[in-house]
Amino acid sequence: MDSIWTQPFFYFFLPAFFTLAVYSLLFKDNPWFKFAEHVFAGLSAGYYAGLIFTSVIKQQMFVPMLSSGRWDMLIPGALGCLLFVRFFPRIRWLTRIPLAFVIGTTAGIMFLQQLHGLILPQLQSTLLPLNDLSNIIIVVGVLTTLVYFYFSKPHTGALGGVAKAGMWFIMVAFGAHFGYTVMARVSLLIGRMQFLFVDWLHWAQ
Amino acid sequence: MADETPKSFLARIQNIDRRVLYALIFVSVIVPLFLPLKLPVPVTPETQNFFDAVEALPDSSIVMLPFDFWPSTLAETEPMAVVGLRHLFRKNCYVVGLSNVGMGGPTIADRLLDSIGGEFHKTYGVDYVNLGYKPDYRAVMLGMGTRISDIFPTDYRDTPLEELPLMRRVPNYDSVAFIFIVSDNVAVDYWVGLVNARFGIPMGAGVTAVMAPKSLSFVQANQLVGLLGGMKGCAEYENLLERPARAIRGMDSQSMIHLLIVVFIIMGNVGYFASKRRVPRS
Amino acid sequence: MIIAFFGTGDTLADFSNEALRYMSIVAGFALLLGVISITQVSAGVVRKREKDWPYKIVLLLCLFTMAGFGIFQGITSGTVFEWLFENIQKPMMATMFSVLAFFIASAAYRAFRARTVEATILLITAIVVMLGRVPMGQYVYEDFPAVANWIMMFPSVAVQRGIIIGAALGAASMSLRIILGIERTYMGRG
Repeated sequence: MDSIWTQPFFYFFLPAFFTLAVYSLLFKDNPWFKFAEHVFAGLSAGYYAGLIFTSVIKQQMFVPMLSSGRWDMLIPGALGCLLFVRFFPRIRWLTRIPLAFVIGTTAGIMFLQQLHGLILPQLQSTLLPLNDLSNIIIVVGVLTTLVYFYFSKPHTGALGGVAKAGMWFIMVAFGAHFGYTVMARVSLLIGRMQFLFVDWLHWAQ
Repeated sequence: MADETPKSFLARIQNIDRRVLYALIFVSVIVPLFLPLKLPVPVTPETQNFFDAVEALPDSSIVMLPFDFWPSTLAETEPMAVVGLRHLFRKNCYVVGLSNVGMGGPTIADRLLDSIGGEFHKTYGVDYVNLGYKPDYRAVMLGMGTRISDIFPTDYRDTPLEELPLMRRVPNYDSVAFIFIVSDNVAVDYWVGLVNARFGIPMGAGVTAVMAPKSLSFVQANQLVGLLGGMKGCAEYENLLERPARAIRGMDSQSMIHLLIVVFIIMGNVGYFASKRRVPRS
Repeated sequence: MIIAFFGTGDTLADFSNEALRYMSIVAGFALLLGVISITQVSAGVVRKREKDWPYKIVLLLCLFTMAGFGIFQGITSGTVFEWLFENIQKPMMATMFSVLAFFIASAAYRAFRARTVEATILLITAIVVMLGRVPMGQYVYEDFPAVANWIMMFPSVAVQRGIIIGAALGAASMSLRIILGIERTYMGRG
């Protein structure tokens, strides 16, 4: 009994079944795909419920409350519960309190992260000596791209010329991005095929 | 009649059934699984730099490894986490794992840490730890800078951090020598923009190919020491580590399908230009 | 957060960390909103016997099973929660995104046309990068990997950097508008 169920074919039967059910969409929409789709949605929602209960309610709230007497953890708990009053129209306005807290904190973090963590280092590494082609490409590429996305003035005359150059740069970058996107999606397909033919069926190495 | 045959051929090329294309893609992916070409995978400078940075870490350093990826990109990201863990455990580094992706992240982290840790006879709590997941990665990343236990009072397995020997040595980022990010989402921007910028910890990232073009600008700005871009980047790292695994085996299929898509593009354009020449615009 | 960044001292750091801790907890509750919402919608479809209602029963059953095991048994290795994730949820999620490989190849065949100069630049770059990034590319033309690398490290990085700087300026100014109370649409006000 044990030896049968540890055989790859039986051991991986369930994941293989659901993998094939999803691929059946390529032929046409069908009940197997719909079944798999709803199982997936249900499990995903259930996963979040289980995860948040354990990681947040239990580990972040109850453990500090019960082991270290951190009863102030009831405050974020109460703020979190206020998010649910959106289902009651008469007191829906109360959701603004936790929302204001989250948005305010996020805005503070974002402001610093964007300015200090992204804009300054990226600008700093663009201030290059224009003594070789690669540096010139970087400086011109960054400037013309920024000009292309500057829509406060019509792209005519000199500005239009610079924006046009920016568009060519953008096309090169998007072409490269397309190549990488193909690479990414193909990798995922290869991964599933490796699962089906190597792990499950053991037909390939 | 003579004029109709090529016309219908071009029309046929233009309107080929999608299922024929799908079948060709399917075949070009699976054939190399049965008949591997074993083509050499050249190493790019960004992968070499990443490998060298990890190799240069003193033995027994403490390294953080965020498993910031969804199960949807496992084919690209899981081999990166595996190769990273193998390299770190081979160097006897201590690994602090965590995940900023709720859906599956901590579960995958737990399995990989246990299985690769097992390969190197490492002990949970002493050599490696899985902190698990906590919502809002901005809060998590910034909060760990002051005190990790504020954000993670316990690990993924409900053990208080003070009871884990490894975590007693890691109160915050000050003890962390390197961050080996594996990610398929915008979390990389925050590791770079919040943690590297503010706490100055060196980091490298293994990212999906979709994210690689953007992440390369962090490499060029020296915000990341190196980058693994998709399955190709991972295959290069496997090469450098001399531990061929899933990524290297997948590169033959990748070659075949890229070639096929290029042929698709050329055929599509030949058909398009030929039909345009035949039907001049009115 | 901003004061804590520039300031020093344990009190300030502690206060900032408490805010971050609270924020993480509140964000966790926000995720549960989605779970409640999908339960409400699916239960409504079943009650009214709308199209595909039997599938919604499957959805609800899976939701309660997964959540139940997660809450009462736990979520770590060796639990039913972990087993359901590893054997059902994970393979499906991985497969759903891999389907895109078929669609992207089909789209490349049908829609990737050199209609204009810009489209031609995009197309040529895509081909060079696709071939330059796989081992077989060097057999088609030995300099493909080097050319692809150059494209990625210079023109592509320049544009990505322009986009990063532009988007970051936008995000920073939006954050400032929120902090100063100019932007209040998130509260449902104009």
